[in-house]
Amino acid sequence: MIAGLMERLRALLFPRRWSSDLDEEMREHLGRETARRIREGLDPEAARREAALAFGGVEKWKEAARDESGARLMGDVSADLRFAVRSLGRNPGFTAAAVGVLAVAIGASTAAFTVVNAVLLRALPYEHPERLVRLFEQNSPTNRWNISTADVQGIRERQRSFDAWGGVSVTEAALSGEGAPEQIVMTRIGAGVFDALGVSAEAGRAVTTADEPAGAPPVVLLSHALATRRFGSPLAALGRSVALDGVTRSVVGVLPTGALDLGGRPAEAWIPLQLAPATRRGPFWMGGIGRLKPGVDLAAARRDLAAVSEGMSGLYADWHDNTARLTPYPLRQTIVGSAEGRLDLFAGAVLLVLLVAIANVATLMLVRASARRPEIAMRITLGATRIRLARLVIAESTVLMAVTVLIAAPLAALGLRFLGSVAPGLPRSAEISLGWESWLFLAAVALSSGALVSLSPVAAVLSSPGRSGMTDTRRAGTTRRAQAVRGTLVAAEFALALPLLLGASLLLNSFLRLTRVDPGFDPSTSLGITIALPSGRYGEVPARQEFFRRALAQARQVPGVLAAGLATEMPPDAGGNDNNFNLVDHPVPAGQSEPTSPWSYVSDGYFEALSIPLVEGRFFTPMDSSAGPPVAVVSLSWQAKYFPGEHALGHELIEGGCYTCPHTTIVGVVGDVKFQGLAGGGDGVYVPLSQSGARTVHLFVKTAAAPAGFVKPMTDALHGLDPDLPLAGEAMSDHLKDALADPGRWTAVLIAFGAAALVLAVMGVFGLLSYVVRQQRREIGVRLALGADPGRVARMVVWRGMRTAGIGIAAGLLLSVMETKWLGSLLYDVTAHDPLTVAVATLVLLAAAVVACLLPGLKAARIRPIEAIAAE
Amino acid sequence: MPDRDLLQGTLDLMVLKALSLEPMHSWGIGQRIDQFSRDVFSVQQGSLYPALQRMLRKGWIRSEWRMSEHHRRARFYHITRTGRAELKERAAGWARASAAVASILRLRTVP
Repeated sequence: MIAGLMERLRALLFPRRWSSDLDEEMREHLGRETARRIREGLDPEAARREAALAFGGVEKWKEAARDESGARLMGDVSADLRFAVRSLGRNPGFTAAAVGVLAVAIGASTAAFTVVNAVLLRALPYEHPERLVRLFEQNSPTNRWNISTADVQGIRERQRSFDAWGGVSVTEAALSGEGAPEQIVMTRIGAGVFDALGVSAEAGRAVTTADEPAGAPPVVLLSHALATRRFGSPLAALGRSVALDGVTRSVVGVLPTGALDLGGRPAEAWIPLQLAPATRRGPFWMGGIGRLKPGVDLAAARRDLAAVSEGMSGLYADWHDNTARLTPYPLRQTIVGSAEGRLDLFAGAVLLVLLVAIANVATLMLVRASARRPEIAMRITLGATRIRLARLVIAESTVLMAVTVLIAAPLAALGLRFLGSVAPGLPRSAEISLGWESWLFLAAVALSSGALVSLSPVAAVLSSPGRSGMTDTRRAGTTRRAQAVRGTLVAAEFALALPLLLGASLLLNSFLRLTRVDPGFDPSTSLGITIALPSGRYGEVPARQEFFRRALAQARQVPGVLAAGLATEMPPDAGGNDNNFNLVDHPVPAGQSEPTSPWSYVSDGYFEALSIPLVEGRFFTPMDSSAGPPVAVVSLSWQAKYFPGEHALGHELIEGGCYTCPHTTIVGVVGDVKFQGLAGGGDGVYVPLSQSGARTVHLFVKTAAAPAGFVKPMTDALHGLDPDLPLAGEAMSDHLKDALADPGRWTAVLIAFGAAALVLAVMGVFGLLSYVVRQQRREIGVRLALGADPGRVARMVVWRGMRTAGIGIAAGLLLSVMETKWLGSLLYDVTAHDPLTVAVATLVLLAAAVVACLLPGLKAARIRPIEAIAAE
Repeated sequence: MPDRDLLQGTLDLMVLKALSLEPMHSWGIGQRIDQFSRDVFSVQQGSLYPALQRMLRKGWIRSEWRMSEHHRRARFYHITRTGRAELKERAAGWARASAAVASILRLRTVP
């Protein structure tokens, strides 16, 4: 069998060699036969004749042998392909356009598929991913938050749903010891999380329950990258020690890259989660992760955890919310949830561009097929079968698609890198790479687009009228059906382009509104520097307070500094540091959740540094300390929400559910500042920094000149107090730009897609009309010669194109309705069917279509009758 | 064309039989077939070539270029293991068929 295959391949791959071998063999044969007959007594001439007679027709047998060799079919195919290459080469413009359009579209869709597959489709890279859940406290469908030490105790005592579970909390820590000090992301993690996820160390061991009691030897696990960076290799790191926030810990294990990312910030060090016995119900500072026992579903786990929550009611004096329940959510959903909407939108946009591209290339192919009708008719007359001609068309598409794939593959890799920079914070980004699934996808898309674009030309060949097509060459390609197909394809391009344009316009509209949002502070005159105090030297609260006092004094001495203040939160994305409170005058009904609001601990000088206006009352002063009576400043929006129609000034509130603490008095009302993103509300409560034990704070400074120039002097001034401090500073205007960068990038991507679709659709209608005008040149010439008004001729052509575009745009409007669901969550201050935006997008597309139709229209009007008729 | 199929099958059988004795070139195969059939079974010699190609494709025979006894390049064919199996099967089939035909013909002669 193998031998037979080799034989066939030889005949196929080296057809000339095969043929000359056969010639030689037959010549040899005839020679021997002639010689035999001469030996039998015939004269050479007669011997040769009789030998030839006995052999039969050399050419006939050779052909028969070729048929039997199995090379015939394959040989035809390779001839077809060679013909296709030549014929594509004769039309470099067409070939380049078709290959370019399809390669970009297919490359982009492969990149999009790769991301969507890695992030959304593939299971989480852990054991039993379907059984993994994340635990939250929740008191309404929209309000869920982290779990507390008390929750961990409650779960430990009562849960029956989990095989393994544990708490995890991501923070930052100052890493010192050997090498330069640096600020790294550190995770406190329970041993149960390793069991639940089935993650083990690549060197050494994971965290175990033996590490969890207070007083256990201090240990740490490092990331592969950190171990390599500090110690050369994971194995070399084992047994060494590092200081984290001033605590010396010995390295007992190294985790493989990406093993515990969980969609959050990738950590570089993990320390055991050690919990002191809970004395109150809050604070809620940990993520909970668990693996359900086999056979336990989410609903059962929810009931089980609800029972755990009910069992805890009344245990803690600080907690009055009887509606909060521990609730499990599928881990996958909590990891990819935020990215899902954007990726769906992105993948949808890419798909639309791909479809537009296919429609576009299909029209190109069809126009080409029509232009070749005389040639096809000639071939049919000369005896070529239609099937054979259809095969030529397919061969052409095959060659076209092969070249396209060769270009699309590197484009996909390029697109993936581009996507990495467009969406830097994508969850599971470590898992994104071009794997076999991507290549399979590319092959499938290329195959189906190849089939789609060759559909219409193949049909055109099969339905070709044959002889009549040759005699009537000028009218070639204008059969009704071919025209209808072309018109439909062009209309489809418009229909697909509109949702893209509309999406781009909506995102742009939303983005522009976002850039005009007042963040509530003056970004042009302020800068912010983040100070993370290591817990070693600043382990005690008084030491931190002392440092803050000196830092403020130091900052205010820098020349050009007009005001300086500290705060725990950096607007506009504070990361959701909310606190619950109750109003003494308007308490929430018993058993209901207390309201929450963004909560900032700020020093004196803070409002002045950020130019936040005072509306009523006063700012904080150095006298507002933990020693004095508790005070708070609230924002205008907060006042409007909780004291509608009243003044909040002088009213009292209860902070964080502490009913035994003295009440907090509102001493000031200030302008709104965005803490929940630029698209968020303006709620805010400020309390004095001295009440906080925070170690990470932001120093804000109002400067007399451009703030960027003050980053260096301010950093130097702070390093004068403590040279080892990790500091990060930038002008607030730059910080604001960062906050806008993400929506800006997505907007740019969609605009690029929308523009591509617009160009393709316009190219489509332009190509269609140019072709029609060229085909009907004679007819138009005759009309003009008979006195037709050139303006009317132009209008006729334009009207014809606009009718096609108009039908497409109308269909596109229907298509756009489906888009609403994807876009809604990404838009700010504009709805997905904002009438003005819809009108603008539609008009842009119509205007582009008019321009595209006008050129062929004018060309038709300028046709000179004599030349057009004489050209026949 | 049953005739042609029968012919083709018979030709294949004879080529395989010839090659089962020794490897040889195409002219030699033709000579050997003439010898076998004592010129009863005469075909155009060129018809060997499609047959050889078919059998190459099916893997029954293989070919290689060698120096012939006259020190000229010639293509030699030899039978493969599958070819021998094929020959055995076909020969048995042929024997069965001709025995059956012969017995039928004998029946006819009985009054």
